[in-house]
Amino acid sequence: MRVLGYLFWAVLACAAAACLGGIAFHRGEHINSLWLVLAAACSYATAYRFYAKFISARVMVLNDQRATPAERLRNGHDFEPTNKWILFGHHFAAIAGPGPLVGPVLAAQFGYLPGTLWIIVGACLGGAVQDFVILFASMRRDGKSLGQMAREEIGKVGGLVALVTVLGIMIILLAVVGLVVVNALKGSPWGTFTIAATMPIALFMGLYLRYWRPGKVLECSAIGFVLVMASIFAGRGVGESAALAPVFTLSAIALAIAIILYGFLASALPVWLLLAPRDYLSTFVKLGVVLMLGVGILFVRPELQLPALTRFTDGTGPIFAGKIFPFCFITIACGAISGFHSLISSGTTPKMIAKETHAWPVGYGSMLLESFVAIMAMIAACVLQPGVYFAVNSPAGIVGATPAAAAATISAWGFPVTAADMAALARSVGETSLFSRTGGAPSLALGMAHIFASSGGGQALIGFWYHFAIMFEALFILTIIDAGTRVGRFMLQDLLGHIHPALGRTSWMPGVWVTSAAVVGGWGYFLVQGVRDPLGGINSLWPLFGISNQLLAAIALCVATTILLKMHGAKYMWITCVPLVWLVSATFTAAWQKIFSPLPAIGFLAQADAATNPVVAFNARLDAVVCGAFLVLVAVILADSVRVWAGILSGAREAAVHEAPFVPSQLRPEEL
Amino acid sequence: MIRLLLALLRELSDEAAYHRHLEAHGREASPEEWRRFLDERLAAKYSRAKCC
Repeated sequence: MRVLGYLFWAVLACAAAACLGGIAFHRGEHINSLWLVLAAACSYATAYRFYAKFISARVMVLNDQRATPAERLRNGHDFEPTNKWILFGHHFAAIAGPGPLVGPVLAAQFGYLPGTLWIIVGACLGGAVQDFVILFASMRRDGKSLGQMAREEIGKVGGLVALVTVLGIMIILLAVVGLVVVNALKGSPWGTFTIAATMPIALFMGLYLRYWRPGKVLECSAIGFVLVMASIFAGRGVGESAALAPVFTLSAIALAIAIILYGFLASALPVWLLLAPRDYLSTFVKLGVVLMLGVGILFVRPELQLPALTRFTDGTGPIFAGKIFPFCFITIACGAISGFHSLISSGTTPKMIAKETHAWPVGYGSMLLESFVAIMAMIAACVLQPGVYFAVNSPAGIVGATPAAAAATISAWGFPVTAADMAALARSVGETSLFSRTGGAPSLALGMAHIFASSGGGQALIGFWYHFAIMFEALFILTIIDAGTRVGRFMLQDLLGHIHPALGRTSWMPGVWVTSAAVVGGWGYFLVQGVRDPLGGINSLWPLFGISNQLLAAIALCVATTILLKMHGAKYMWITCVPLVWLVSATFTAAWQKIFSPLPAIGFLAQADAATNPVVAFNARLDAVVCGAFLVLVAVILADSVRVWAGILSGAREAAVHEAPFVPSQLRPEEL
Repeated sequence: MIRLLLALLRELSDEAAYHRHLEAHGREASPEEWRRFLDERLAAKYSRAKCC
C-alpha cells in the first residue's frame, strides 16, 4: 500500500513536470487548455502533499492536542470551532475577488506562458506559503491581525506602516476596480440596465430579510438570484428599445460619477439595507460561476488561440507597457501572491479553526484554489482570437479611435482582425462596439461566454452569457467598492478621532458624512483620472494597484520571516525569505521603472514631461508620488525587519515568541 | 457531500451564526432577535477589508 502511494505521487509529480514542460516548450500550433489545467492541478497536488506538509510538520509543528483560539475563546460569535471544509469554503469565498480574474487577462498580452508559469509557481512557493504562515501565526496569537503582529514582532513602526499602507491600497484598489466596471458598461445599455437593476433588487432583499422573512438569508438570496437573472433577460429588451436604450447608454465619465455617488451612499446607508444583501448574493453567484467555469472548461476543452509568447514581451505592450520582468509579476498579484490575503488570514479565519492541522487545507489549500481560478481566467482570455483580444483590451489612444484604424493597427502587429468581424461579434453579444473596452472584464466575459455557450445553448445564448459574466464581475466589484469605502471610512475615523474625538464616533452622522466623502473623494479622484487618461487608465492604475498589493505581501512576509526566525533561528527562514526576496526585487524594480523610466509609456515622470495637457501632467506626477510613497513605506518596514533579524541572529536581541500559552484541547470530533 | 454544501451555504449566509447566537444566549428565534444579531454581526463583518 505504501509503495502504491509512493508510485502515485511519483507519477503525479512527473505529470506536473511533463505538463509544465509541454506548455513551456510547445511552439508553432495551438495547444489545448487541458494542458494548463493538468499542469496546474498536478503541481498544486504535489506542492500541497509535500511542501505544505513539510511546513506544517517540521516548521509550524501543528499540534491537534493544542486548543485553538476558536475553542479556548469560544463565544458563539467570532470564535467558533468550524468544520474544516466549511471553513475552507468560507475562507476561499473571502479571498476570491476580481483580482485573480482581471490580472491574468491583462497579463495575457505577453502570451499564455509567462502568466501561467507565474500563477502556478508563485502560488505554490509564495502566495499559499504567505497565507498559510500568517494564518498559523494569527491562530497561535488568539486571532491577532497583521498590524498587531507587525507591531508585536517587529516594532511600532511596522504596525503604523501596515495601517497606512492598507489605507493607501484601499484607495487605489477601489479606483481600479471602479474603472474596470466603467469600461465594461460604457455605451452598453444592456449591461448598465442589468447592474442598475441589482440596486433595487438588493434594497428589496434588505427589507425582505429585515422585516418580512427575518433570518431567511438563503431563501432571500435565491429570490434575489432569480430577479437578477430576469434583469439580464430584460436588459436585452432595454438595449433594443428605442425609448429606453438612450436612458441606459452612459458615457464613461457619467458612469464614473454614478459609481462615486453609489459608493458614498452605500457607505453611509445602514449596512443591512444595501451592502449585506448584495454581498450575500454576490458570494453565492461568485462561487457558482467559478464552479460553472471549471466544469465548462473541462467539458469544452477549448484550444488556446493566443501564442505562448507574443511580440509584446519586449515591453511595448498596448495594454500596459513594460517587460515580463517585472511587470508580469505585479500585474498578476491575486492568483499568485496577494498581500490582501494576509488581512483575511489574520481576520475571521484564525478565529474559526477547530484543530491546528486544519490550517493546512484552509490556509494553503484555499490559495491553491484561488490560483486555479486565475488559470481559468487565463484560459478564458486565451481562447479569444488574438486580434479580438487586442482589439477589446487596447486603448483608443494607442490603436486609433475608429474601428478601421484600430483593426489596421492590430493587424499590423501580426494579429489579424477586421472592423467587420468586431462589429459582428459586438452584435452577437448585444453591444454596439467592443473596441477599446479596456480593463479586462469585457474580454474575460467574451471568453467565458464562448465557453458557456459551447457547453450548452450554442451561439443563440452568447449574448445572455456575455451579460451574465459582466453582471457576475460587476456585482462583486460593486460589493468591494461599498464595503471598501466603509472600511476606509472606519480607518479614517480611527485616525481623525485622535485629532477631534467626535470625528472618531461612528454614530455621529456629520463625522460619517465627512469621512465617507473624504474616502470616496480619494478613490473617485483616481477613478476619474483613469477615465480621462488617453491611454485608458489601466496602464497606470493597474500597475499601481499591483505594486501596492505586492508591497503589502512583502510586509506580511517580513512578519512571517520574523516569526519563523524567532521559532527556529535561521534554519527555516528561507521558506518565507525566498518569496520575499523575489517579491521585493520585482516590486521595487517595477516601482522604480514606473517612476523614473525615460519612456513616457512606462515612467510617470517622463509621461508628465511629455504631456501637453496640464491635468494629465499633474496626474502623472501624483501617480509618481503615490508610487514613491508605497516604496518608502515598505523600505522602512523592510529595514526595520532586517534590523530585528540581525539582532536576533547576533544574539543581541531576545527572540521572544508572542504565542498564546499551550492549553490542551478538549474538543470532541462530534462537535465539528 | 450535499450536507456539507448546505452547511457551507448556511455558514456563508450567516444562518449558522444566527443559530449559534441563539444557542449561546439561550434565546428563541424572533424578528427582533434576528435584527439584534444581524446589526452586531454586520458591524463586525464590514469593519474589515474585503479582498481584491
